[in-house]
Amino acid sequence: MATKRLGFIVRSLPYKTEASRLAMTHAIASQTVEIYLEDGDMVEPVVCFIGDGVLNCLKSQQAMKHYGITSLEQHVKNGLLLDLKIMICKEDIEKLGIKEDSLIMDAEDIGGETKAQIVPYSEIQKEMDSVDHLLFC
Amino acid sequence: MKLGVFMSDFRTGSDIIDRLNAEKLGIIFVGNGIYHATVKENGKTSNVLDKSATFYALTEDLESRGFSSANLDSRVKPVTYSDVVDLIFNDYEKIIWI
Repeated sequence: MATKRLGFIVRSLPYKTEASRLAMTHAIASQTVEIYLEDGDMVEPVVCFIGDGVLNCLKSQQAMKHYGITSLEQHVKNGLLLDLKIMICKEDIEKLGIKEDSLIMDAEDIGGETKAQIVPYSEIQKEMDSVDHLLFC
Repeated sequence: MKLGVFMSDFRTGSDIIDRLNAEKLGIIFVGNGIYHATVKENGKTSNVLDKSATFYALTEDLESRGFSSANLDSRVKPVTYSDVVDLIFNDYEKIIWI
């Protein structure tokens, strides 16, 4: 039995490019690869938002209304609903003047129990050190 | 020259903005450009807002990213797509996109 840990580190802004969306959808979808693995083998994704990437985590995104596409907010909530480990860099939200109550910290409205974590960059660095594969986008 | 500038990036383009001269300059924040009008980095507003210009931000792009007109810097006016069309046709002779 083995667990492969995948790290998705998002530093890109939402919407102009697909980088942050792809990180979220891949992280969410990565759990489904378990059906192709040996019994007992697992995949464990972690998503970390750093730099300008923390702006993906703002609440009240209205991408469906204006662009006709799902919002990154919804992707983050879907991730939390699936118990994805989601970390948001503390120093970067402070640098950009973002308060915790502006951020998507849970998915309780859709039945999720897992919460996002605001952590110092050093914690995110530890995640990067510990994962088996790293996508930095 | 009456110049309208669409600014759609947050981290690039400020150097070009610094060099632009126009009798009337309008800077329209669209896409990721709206962060210039909403985010204070280390407590400071974007340098772009120090330019002598009239500033606008597209509300659709603000709202898509989780902001509202209430989050806008006081120097920036919220505009809809329809307003932007009016700006292009009525207020600015030339338009560039950076």
